[in-house]
Amino acid sequence: MDGETMRLLFTMTAAAALWAADPDYRTPWQAKDFEKAMGVLEGALAADPDSMKFGSEYRLLVIDAKAHDRAIKFFGDLAAKNPTMSNLHLNHGFAYVDKIPTAGSITQVLLANTSLGHFTKSLETKQTWIALYTRGNAYLFWPKIFKRMPLGIADLEAAMKMQKSGKKMPFHVRSYLALGDGYFKNDEPEKAKAMWAEGLKEYPASDALKSRTGKSPEEIEKLISNVYDPYKRVDTDLSDLWKQQ
Amino acid sequence: MKRTILIALAAAAVFGFTGVKSRIRFTETGEKSGVRQVHSTRKFKGPHGDVLGMFTSGGAASAVGDFDNDGDDDLFVVDSDTGKPHRLYRNDGGMKFTEVGAQAGVTGGNDPDSICADAIWFDYDNDGWRDLLVARFGTPLLYHNEKNGKFKNVTAGSGFNRFGNTIAVISFDYDKDGMLDVMFGDYFKPVSLINLTTTKVLPNDLDNAVNGGGVTLWHNDGNGKFSDVTSKAGFDKHTGWTLDLGHGDLNNDGWQDIYIAADYGTDRMYFNNGNGTFSEVTTKAMGGFDTRKGMNAEIGDYDNDGWLDIYVTNITDEYMKECNMLWHNNADGTFTDVSKETNTCNTLWGWGAKFGDFDNDGWLDIFATNGLRSRGKDNYIPLLLEAIIKPNMEFQELASWPAIGNMTWSGFQKKVMFKNVGGQVFKDISADAGVDNDLDGRGVAVADFDGDGRLDFYQTNADQPALLYHGQAEGAGNWIEMKLEGAVKNRDAVGARVTVKAGALTMMREVDGGNGYSGQSMLRLHFGLGAAAKADSVEIAWPDGRKEKVAVPVNAAVYVRQTAGGAARIAPIKVR
Repeated sequence: MDGETMRLLFTMTAAAALWAADPDYRTPWQAKDFEKAMGVLEGALAADPDSMKFGSEYRLLVIDAKAHDRAIKFFGDLAAKNPTMSNLHLNHGFAYVDKIPTAGSITQVLLANTSLGHFTKSLETKQTWIALYTRGNAYLFWPKIFKRMPLGIADLEAAMKMQKSGKKMPFHVRSYLALGDGYFKNDEPEKAKAMWAEGLKEYPASDALKSRTGKSPEEIEKLISNVYDPYKRVDTDLSDLWKQQ
Repeated sequence: MKRTILIALAAAAVFGFTGVKSRIRFTETGEKSGVRQVHSTRKFKGPHGDVLGMFTSGGAASAVGDFDNDGDDDLFVVDSDTGKPHRLYRNDGGMKFTEVGAQAGVTGGNDPDSICADAIWFDYDNDGWRDLLVARFGTPLLYHNEKNGKFKNVTAGSGFNRFGNTIAVISFDYDKDGMLDVMFGDYFKPVSLINLTTTKVLPNDLDNAVNGGGVTLWHNDGNGKFSDVTSKAGFDKHTGWTLDLGHGDLNNDGWQDIYIAADYGTDRMYFNNGNGTFSEVTTKAMGGFDTRKGMNAEIGDYDNDGWLDIYVTNITDEYMKECNMLWHNNADGTFTDVSKETNTCNTLWGWGAKFGDFDNDGWLDIFATNGLRSRGKDNYIPLLLEAIIKPNMEFQELASWPAIGNMTWSGFQKKVMFKNVGGQVFKDISADAGVDNDLDGRGVAVADFDGDGRLDFYQTNADQPALLYHGQAEGAGNWIEMKLEGAVKNRDAVGARVTVKAGALTMMREVDGGNGYSGQSMLRLHFGLGAAAKADSVEIAWPDGRKEKVAVPVNAAVYVRQTAGGAARIAPIKVR
């Protein structure tokens, strides 16, 4: 087990421990008392700014409450006070991603670009698999004309290298998918097919990987266009990181 | 819905919905017909000339109207650069035209301080002769038809004295007093782009801009004068970047309503209260505000359910996938966008789009223009992106925008012809129809120039030659065409509604006063009847509220002349 994976596991264990002692934000959330629920999670994050779990849960709550600007400001203020917290920067970036489907096409570009800046800050703070995967995957949403695809592929290749040197985790299947998709979008269909095939060997139950095999280029193109449609909400729920243990 | 579409497609593939097995085809005859006008956008000088040129490249427009009352439709074509003359093409029959703009006295308007951008024919004084209104980035020009092939500039006494950067104009009778009123759609706020006093003239937001020109509504006072009633009617709150206007009775209450297509932000819908005022119903009717780049407001009943629908083009390209909007009228004051379900979502960088039954099967098809700027191999978009993502980029500041030089921006786009398959779905037949040119389209004006019952259309292009497509549908169905004439008031019967029943078909059309971006179509109403040998019923709801049934011959164009008290008179239109 490499150091990175150990750190990740430690974070998850800590998060799991926290789970047991979570402040109760779910009851008001279920009751649609968003103000109260957000207040609880903001308090939890103030006490533990780098908490992946509280950050992720807070963002999911914010999506439900349609309070995107509040979350962006909250994470921004928190990150200003805690500039060396990698997960905090990641959640800050995701707060912008979460707002994208609610915005117009030009604002979407601005939000996406800002999110990339925060993912970069996360990576500058700490090179983690999740940050590499996240930024790499985010680049794939950019139309090819903007020439971001090679940057995404570079991040995803780095994430792949990192995961191959550590313990195999269920969520690592995402790198095979995204990197294959990146190759396909970058007009490298053979490399894409090879990556998806390699992924299937490692994760034979993956429906997403299966859906990319045995298809015509046109069908894959359609499938991938659908996956990377900026008007659809990107699933930024990070709970796989602590649930898939 | 999907199942319905499949059934519709299968049925259409076998025998067509109306027993007509047709193939929509066109031949481009612009050169041969003598209407190959080459439009020129305004060239600006100074450091911001390049950017201003981009933002004002929308004025290639045309207007169809029978200015000489000889029965066939003529064509007025707008130019935009300094000193460039407009063209008035007189229809000589047989798809031949003669340019008579100078003799008619209507070529002017592109003076150093004004940019012509749209035009409509409308009979503002109810003398039975169509007058001409030229909209400008400046003040408009009103020409009175002197009934002898000449026009007189009567702008000075018209009351049209308010400066606006007008890109769209329609005429309609909003208060049912029998006189055609005028609505202007303004793009920029009312500042001169030629003599700039500020460089902050561009949209303040590219998704929710509120610093545009809005609209103005002018009441026809009946004495050759128009009064600005924008505020009184309730339109002064709209400050968006209007690109197009459409009118029609959207809620079937007998009053003309308004759809505003706006760039950089939400379109808007207004219902006519019937008392000289309008209520904005955008949120209720369309489910909220949009952030798209509305370019076109065409109104027609595409599914033959007796309720007017709206087709709006937006921008759909590799870098911006907004999707057009086909607003299906739900018959309860609300509309649902069905563009994805009907396959009318993507026409790239949209501009003018028009409904028309191009194969006379009884269902309205769509032709849509597109394309912003086709130039060199370098693409402007990456450069623009870098500018846009700069922190604190000030969108409205001219200096914030990079010069475009000879770069291409959403250029070389193929035009789109959609065949309506039974009112359920549209099929892209552009290449087969022969209309998939890749010029930088702007407006579309639909007419039956040669009176053969197959619709033709004229496509204007920015800085490029215009195209005339002669309709030559194979196996087209039967048809009727009616030019309605009001008895005393509203002589062109703008706003009249005609419902035709023929076999299994029931169709409804309204006479409009210039709907659709940069192109006024013919006032004559066209109905395809499919295989039906006759129209079983033709019912007219005149603008004055009277309703009557008339009998009109099939495969012929006729005048339907309302009389003061008796039945309408039918007379043939002699189209050469």
